[in-house]
Amino acid sequence: MLTITIFLPLLTGLLVLVLPRSRPDLVRWIALFGAMLTLIAAMVLWAGFEPSGGSLQWRMTAQWIPTIGASYDVAVGGISLTLILLTAVLLTVVMVYVLGERDRAHAHAFLFLLLGSGLIGLFAAQDLLLFYLFFEIGLVPMYFIVGIWGGERRRYAALKFFLYTRAGSLAMLLGFLALYLAMEPHSFSLPAIIAAKPLAQAPLASALVFFALLIGFGVKLPIVPLHNWLPDAHVEAPTEGSVVLAGLQLKMGGYGLVAILLPTLPETVARFSWLLIGLALVSLLYGALAALAQSDMKRLVAYTSINHMAYVTLGVAVAGVIGSAQARQLAINGATFQMVSHGLLTGGMFLMVGMLQHRAGTREIDHFGGLIGRMPTFSGLFGLLAFGSLGLPGLSGFIAEFQVIGAALQLSVWIAAITVLGLVLATAVYLRLMAGTLMGSAPQDAKPLSPLSAREAWSAAALATLSVLIGILPMILIAALDGNARILAHF
Amino acid sequence: MDLWAVVPEMILAGLALALVPIAGWARGRWRSLPAALALVGLLAALALTAPMLMAAPREAFCGTYAVDPFRAFYQLVIEAGAIVSLLALAAHFHGTEQEAQAPVALLMATVGGMGLAAATDLGLIVLFLQMVSFPSYLLVLLVRSDKSAQEATLKYFLYGAAALAVMAYGLTFLFGLTGSLNLRIIGAGLVGADAAWVALAFGLVLVGYGFEMTLVPFHVWAPDVFQGATAPTSGFVSVVPKVAAFAGLLRLLLEALPHGLIAWPVVLAIVAVATMTFGNLIALRQTSLKRLLAYSSIAQAGYMLMAVAVADRTPDALPAVGYYLVAYLCMNLAAFTVLAQVERMLGNDGFDAVRGLGRRAPWPAAAFTLALLSLAGIPPLAGFAGKVFLLMAAIDGGFVWLAIIAAINMAVALYYYAVIIAEMYFREPERREAVALGLGYAWAVGLCTAGTIAFGVAPRLALSLAQLGSVILR
Repeated sequence: MLTITIFLPLLTGLLVLVLPRSRPDLVRWIALFGAMLTLIAAMVLWAGFEPSGGSLQWRMTAQWIPTIGASYDVAVGGISLTLILLTAVLLTVVMVYVLGERDRAHAHAFLFLLLGSGLIGLFAAQDLLLFYLFFEIGLVPMYFIVGIWGGERRRYAALKFFLYTRAGSLAMLLGFLALYLAMEPHSFSLPAIIAAKPLAQAPLASALVFFALLIGFGVKLPIVPLHNWLPDAHVEAPTEGSVVLAGLQLKMGGYGLVAILLPTLPETVARFSWLLIGLALVSLLYGALAALAQSDMKRLVAYTSINHMAYVTLGVAVAGVIGSAQARQLAINGATFQMVSHGLLTGGMFLMVGMLQHRAGTREIDHFGGLIGRMPTFSGLFGLLAFGSLGLPGLSGFIAEFQVIGAALQLSVWIAAITVLGLVLATAVYLRLMAGTLMGSAPQDAKPLSPLSAREAWSAAALATLSVLIGILPMILIAALDGNARILAHF
Repeated sequence: MDLWAVVPEMILAGLALALVPIAGWARGRWRSLPAALALVGLLAALALTAPMLMAAPREAFCGTYAVDPFRAFYQLVIEAGAIVSLLALAAHFHGTEQEAQAPVALLMATVGGMGLAAATDLGLIVLFLQMVSFPSYLLVLLVRSDKSAQEATLKYFLYGAAALAVMAYGLTFLFGLTGSLNLRIIGAGLVGADAAWVALAFGLVLVGYGFEMTLVPFHVWAPDVFQGATAPTSGFVSVVPKVAAFAGLLRLLLEALPHGLIAWPVVLAIVAVATMTFGNLIALRQTSLKRLLAYSSIAQAGYMLMAVAVADRTPDALPAVGYYLVAYLCMNLAAFTVLAQVERMLGNDGFDAVRGLGRRAPWPAAAFTLALLSLAGIPPLAGFAGKVFLLMAAIDGGFVWLAIIAAINMAVALYYYAVIIAEMYFREPERREAVALGLGYAWAVGLCTAGTIAFGVAPRLALSLAQLGSVILR
């Protein structure tokens, strides 16, 4: 079943490619249908998942390159499963959103579906080489998406994105190879490496591997100073590309930190936790401050991603260094919850900004104002997502940040204090955004803006609803994450 | 006599000789006859070589020729490369005078390459190295009126002649030190020899192989030749002589210069770094696609040399080289063949020739993209698995620093591959022409692309062959 979920998008994508060129609408509907099937398959996985059971479920293994001990080994724990579900949700939302638009529909649908397969496979992979494979399958389509459908400077942004991520992933590959060669017998199996921790007794080698993996995951996350590609890629990407980039691709890095770096090298994470915490706090403040300085809404949302994803780094760092298993579990839970929450909220924010741009032809905050009166449905959803992003209780962002800060507080009051400062800055960012667009009066030369179409409203509402749902009933998510976090916390 | 052991070579050599008069007589429609016969001959040779992968290693012709799985594997790769190149060449020169002549030279070079993979005798090594080189010069000069082809051939010839002479000089030292022409006897005889002389001999011999493999600093000819020759020829020259030279160098190292005799792993590791770094850095600045692919293929040789450097330190090295050569064959020939199609239609190979190719010719553009992504090492394509095996061999062989430098290089290399892809897909076409069509092109690109994908998704297909082929007569 898991394998079906992984390859359903790809198969749909291949099907789409052979459809006649004259029927772009058919292509879009089939692509949406494939995404929905994937969503259903992911929900079947979820329904059959036993949160209190062993960590890895729905496991399937097959030989891939037996001579070097790499296998097709997929399985899900709570964290993987949640992110797979998130992938399926966002993929479907994106397909709904683009129903009416975009030239070269075949290539567009194929690339997004290929990306979907890459992401789901990545979150399910239990073999490091397989993980790497899916990592790069998730990378290449985005290069084309930004480069073909992006804005003015798309070629530059696409290339920059490609080079940064690829350089990071090559460092990661070297780290994986070192882990593989340190295992006796050589193996890429993630559970086996986590159990054996082959580099525990080799401080230098483990430090090198740690930095290799940190660079690989850090570029994707992104951790300052590896974030440079992100604003360009986000701004130049088409709306649906930004949604997937922020909503899902950044999670590749976060997932790697939580599910690979932390459990395979716990001592090394503890040894360098000061560095991780420092990087996280810098990213947190930098992301918020940079966002505060933006007048372009898309750029603003892009920078807040750096702020939000820093909680993931912080969670992992705290989990790596803190003594009590309970606090570790809390930190890991917070980090993973943040990934889901950020996927929904920021994905939603990018959609909304895209809708505005589509209507007004600009993303400058100053060009808007008084939208509450002019576009009520839009304003409601926009406000909800913005409040969720700034961490208002009752919405998903709060739960995530609360958990991470709670765990950090047990480590040091100072860390928690700086984190809260970051939170305040982020709040300012979103309040300014809302004040500038929703409130006040429309500028003199404002053109009338058409209300949201059904597909636009549906795509954003789905994300907002999910955010409210897990904000009010976090247990539905925590129940699945917790079992996984508990295992990760007991290294 | 062990004639049965060399049936594939005999068939191809005989066919090449027989084709000489036929190519001279052929007129009109009959011009495609030599290519057809050559294709049949190559397929027969392929079929006859395949079973030899399983045979027990032995020597033939009084110890001058090894009949081992190593030889069979490299011969298979060379034959496969020749088949694909032949398809592309035949399509490229269809209807011209060269159509009949190209297959003859191609067969000759192929036989030379095949011999080089098997020769264990210094005399034969020189002979076969000449045999792979000279027909390659001819291939470059196929279009005799072409000024740049003339210049390229002259360069190729002069550099080649000098490199071979230097190498032959080096080989005489090996003979002088041991009194034998046989690689294994040399290997045994060199134990206790003066290390300085052995090192000198090794250095001189490396010039010859390095020339064919386009290792820095013996690569100077390659960009000019690749640019001056027609694209299918550049494809052939970038694959077949290179594969043969890799096989020849490996055999020489493992049989005649066993471990501990000299510091060849370190020397080769340094040459590998120089080759990949230089190739990649210069490739960044190219504006001619053939030239760019020439530097790219120099860089690729550098990657492969990593595993050659550790060939006697880890058992994974030989399969890694073998696998990578298979992958390299697929992706490089696919790239050069599509380039040939573009070049034949537009008459140039600048970046603007492929601008908007994604719209003008979706399938060739897709194949070109896959080939470039594979050259850049993006999974799940063959170039990725190949790079993993090479990096793993380097790390396992104790050269962690080499693996790190190689990874940095791969990241740099991505830039120029990505720029070509960007030209094809991210820009609007300025010209309306698609690409030249032909059944030969289609087959060549199709086979290579299928290989790039299949060997990438299921690397064990080619890896187990390469593993079989790592059994070498020592």
